[in-house]
Amino acid sequence: MGILLFNSAFGFYVLGLLHSVAAFVSKQKNIFHQIAIVSVSVGFGLHSAFLIYSAVEKGRLPLTDLREALTFFAWTVSLCFFISHLRYRIKPLGLFLLPLVTVLMLGTIFIKSSPVPEIFSSSWIYWHTICLFLAYGMFFVTFIASLLYLFQERELKGKKPKTFYYWLPSLVLLDDLFYKFLISGFCFMTLGLLAGVIWAEQDWVGGWQSDPKVIAALITWVIYLVLIYLRLTAGWRGKRAALISMIGFLSILFTFLGARYLGGLHSFP
Amino acid sequence: MDLVLVGLNHKTAPVEVRERIAFAEEHLQPALKRLQRDSDLLEGMILSTCNRVEILAHGQKSQAQVVQSVKDFLYSYHALKPPFLEDFLYSYLRGDAVRHVFRVTSSLDSMVVGEPQILAQVKQAYAEACQAGSVGTYLKDLIPRAFFVAKKVRSSTQIGASAVSISSVAVELARKIFGDLKGKTTLLLGAGEMGELAARNLLDSGISQIFVINRTPKRGQELAAQLLATAVPFEDLETYLIRADIALVCTGSTSLLLDKTLIEAIIKKRRYRPLFIIDISVPRNVDPQINELDNVFLYDVDDLQSVIDANIRQRCAEAEIAEEIVDKETVNYMNQLSTRSAGPLIRSLKHRIEEICLEELRSNHKNLDPQEYERLEKALRSTARKIAHPFITEIRQADKDPTRRLHKIQLIRKIFRLDKDS
Repeated sequence: MGILLFNSAFGFYVLGLLHSVAAFVSKQKNIFHQIAIVSVSVGFGLHSAFLIYSAVEKGRLPLTDLREALTFFAWTVSLCFFISHLRYRIKPLGLFLLPLVTVLMLGTIFIKSSPVPEIFSSSWIYWHTICLFLAYGMFFVTFIASLLYLFQERELKGKKPKTFYYWLPSLVLLDDLFYKFLISGFCFMTLGLLAGVIWAEQDWVGGWQSDPKVIAALITWVIYLVLIYLRLTAGWRGKRAALISMIGFLSILFTFLGARYLGGLHSFP
Repeated sequence: MDLVLVGLNHKTAPVEVRERIAFAEEHLQPALKRLQRDSDLLEGMILSTCNRVEILAHGQKSQAQVVQSVKDFLYSYHALKPPFLEDFLYSYLRGDAVRHVFRVTSSLDSMVVGEPQILAQVKQAYAEACQAGSVGTYLKDLIPRAFFVAKKVRSSTQIGASAVSISSVAVELARKIFGDLKGKTTLLLGAGEMGELAARNLLDSGISQIFVINRTPKRGQELAAQLLATAVPFEDLETYLIRADIALVCTGSTSLLLDKTLIEAIIKKRRYRPLFIIDISVPRNVDPQINELDNVFLYDVDDLQSVIDANIRQRCAEAEIAEEIVDKETVNYMNQLSTRSAGPLIRSLKHRIEEICLEELRSNHKNLDPQEYERLEKALRSTARKIAHPFITEIRQADKDPTRRLHKIQLIRKIFRLDKDS
């Protein structure tokens, strides 16, 4: 049952991605775009059902190993796609967000599940992971929004409009998407880190401050803090904002995937 | 009885010819009446715009005759000598005429593809024809269908979505930068005519406030009054450049008014809020290098024109989708038309074949006793049905190509001489 839900969710995501690509390439943009949205909606529904099912089956939130973490990460990106679609209706968004969802889902196939580490006895750990993955999803939208802003800005500066000029909304709208997801992502990241600190103060034996993942996460947090600061004080948009949010997201990827190889408590078996 | 369309348009005839055979609006009523009478038509409609003159005719005679009589009408009405129009006129028959009407109404045959006026013009022409009493069942069915197709094309393609004039493309670009223009501010620099036009267009599109700066304050105040704007002195240029979202520059000055260092300083004070500068003055008043600055978008007349060109290409791409819709709708319409005419045709065909079969029997009925007569009559009626059956199947069968189907039906009519009956 769980496998079936997961596989069909994956299938619908792939279908959604293919139709997003088709919408970009073909002339009949609207039809393909609508099919893509419907497919992703179904995929998201099935994905949510899968998460609930495995939570009930295992008697805990499915967040304990890398395999489950990737699945949950895919779910948060998909959730962010939905929120931004409902609020902003930016057509090419799926073209950029769905590949990550698909890759994350695909990644879980090659990873074996591992036993639950003892640290997951505390509920703070769950809050820690949920908040951080939501933040990661939102920061990915932020990164994509800044890319789309860059595309539209290039169209407007280049004065020879092509597909993106017609397909993308206004700069102000893209900037709004960027800003809102940046701020919410930052709030969730802060909450997630705080939950982690609270847990660490209670249960972590030894210095958690020197854990490589903790340091990486802190660097990421500072990068986004700087981005918000520059945005508010110097009104950074376009190229520079895109560059920093790209660095920020790379830093997230490093924190999430890279830091585990540097040892420390966060490196799951 | 067939539909025929005769006419010329901007592609086939130069303006000198088009204006010679245009129908003035006030002369349309008598012209329509004369057309119907002179050409012996059941129905007629005249569409006369600056880009086309077309006559849609539904006559009793053969297609070639109807085409000729409509041409004769054009020559005699405009007092022209044949073959003056021969090189310019086109004529479409039946299905092709229907397709052409659909294409014209959907603005696919227009000079600027997707322009919205043509639909209103066809509506007007139809209203005139209705008033003159020159439309009957055929056109009353066809023309509203053309309106339906035009609406379908507009709603399912982007054919009319992009701007194709200088002032409307300025609004389109402003929307691509700022989204909703409500609450946005425009600074109009100079009192040039093009600038005024663009400012008006922005005002119509929801821009909230306009400031006018002009070297001669008096002219600036006049213009400001016309645009419901505020005139401000030239010395405050920098202050209002910081405040505005859009700067429209259209002066008669021969030197640069806005240079890179000025804008660079301003953009910092604006905290990098996007600034859209439209320079429609010739010679240009804004340093082209300003476009290299972040969050500044500078467009001169040539740039606006290149966006218009791209928009026209975009419209043409959308027109391909629209053509498919029109083709499909034409086939649908022609099929409906022949299905509708099939009922009476089948009835008269059955009747005809029965007649032929019973003719001999009736002429010999004196030599037969009543019982035998009845038996024979029954047998012959059933034979008639069997003969008629394959023809009826042919008539009822829908065809992908409606013209071929109509040909088939026409052939059956001809063989059985059904036209006299119906």
